[in-house]
Amino acid sequence: MASINLQGDTSGSISISAPSVAGSNTLTLPATTQTLATQNALGIRNLIINGDMQIAQRGTSFTVTGGDTAYRTVDRWKHVLGAGNWVVSQDTDVPTGQGFAKSLKLDVTSAVTSPASGLFTALQYSFEGQHLQHLKKGTSNAESVTLSFWVKATKTGTYIVELDDDDNGRNINKSYTVDASDTWEYKTITFAGDTTGTLNNDNGLSLRIFMYLVMGTDYTSGTLQTSWGTTVNADRAVGQVNTADSASNNFWITGVQLEVGDTATPFEHRPYDMELSRCWRYFYSGYAAGEYPGQAGASISFQQGSQSTGSWCGIVVAPFPTQMRATPTMTAYSPNSGASGKWYSNNTGTDQTANASGTTNGFKVSCQGNSPTPPNGMQVNFTANAEL
Amino acid sequence: MYRKIYESHQTLSTTSIQKISDNAVIPFDPANTDYQEYLEWVVEGNTPEEAE
Repeated sequence: MASINLQGDTSGSISISAPSVAGSNTLTLPATTQTLATQNALGIRNLIINGDMQIAQRGTSFTVTGGDTAYRTVDRWKHVLGAGNWVVSQDTDVPTGQGFAKSLKLDVTSAVTSPASGLFTALQYSFEGQHLQHLKKGTSNAESVTLSFWVKATKTGTYIVELDDDDNGRNINKSYTVDASDTWEYKTITFAGDTTGTLNNDNGLSLRIFMYLVMGTDYTSGTLQTSWGTTVNADRAVGQVNTADSASNNFWITGVQLEVGDTATPFEHRPYDMELSRCWRYFYSGYAAGEYPGQAGASISFQQGSQSTGSWCGIVVAPFPTQMRATPTMTAYSPNSGASGKWYSNNTGTDQTANASGTTNGFKVSCQGNSPTPPNGMQVNFTANAEL
Repeated sequence: MYRKIYESHQTLSTTSIQKISDNAVIPFDPANTDYQEYLEWVVEGNTPEEAE
């Protein structure tokens, strides 16, 4: 085994050794001063939760008609679809040999042939400011970050990715190219650190990634802003192809990683349970695994027996498995019918109006406060939403 | 469209609002994005329905 010895400043030495290999292999070091261990070796280096699209608590497929902006399938990934008909789904088409099982697929089912000037269509990922303080944004020591991902698209050409600083109204935009149609390709993009505009150290929205799909001229008529600066809409998506110009087009993505530094490292595959628990900070489904909000005939996740009479009736109370980002929006569902805003009485065999509320740490589902008829056998499922 | 919810019918204190389209109960938490959307809706001149 060949090796190089480096003598320490005052004592000792470090040996760098190479094993016997066939051919020439490359070990890429950072282009800037870094500590190798913190950039390339330690865990939780991927700032993105569910970058491999393995968690989908809300459902695995959703049909969009005439546009939609919401979280519908894979956790933490919001689709902003300003127009067109799409099927958004968690898919099993993945790059070969990379260890991925799932991808996010956007299937165009009705083309957007003439985008309106204000059309905004993208995938969006959002960060809390308190998760990004180590980027040191707004200081002279601001860190660069590198985004890497696997993409497969029917439409070839130029695509734009934006980092959007929501706290300070600043952004930076970079392009990548899909070279071959319907072929998995690996892309890396490095964004310089921003010495202006600190990110709030709180649980609010601070930074977003926009991965554009088709944009109107309001966002494409200027010059692409490839350095950090005040956000100018016309400079955000210059050159972006129209991913939705044919109803035959599809767009897949998986293995999305954002990490500190100027070098993309291999995707950090995290265990399913770890990734699920991290998603729960933003959305928690009380449904059993493999069942989804609004599903009729779902398993009963929570049940209360006989209730007292008086001004309150059945109450189900439980803690969340992890602290949520904010006080969540609560939706109760009848396990029997799947109806929202309802719980099911197995005594009367009917859905009853539910009142759901929560804190960051737990929730309560009760009868509607103004209708305190005491029933028996309260069964309910619910979701808690604290997404950015 | 939104509807008021009285958390306690004894005090008639409104501590959350319900989105009528999906019956989601939205807390009055400034960090909740659904509440932020509700506030924008109110700023546009809309008012929620009274509780049922």
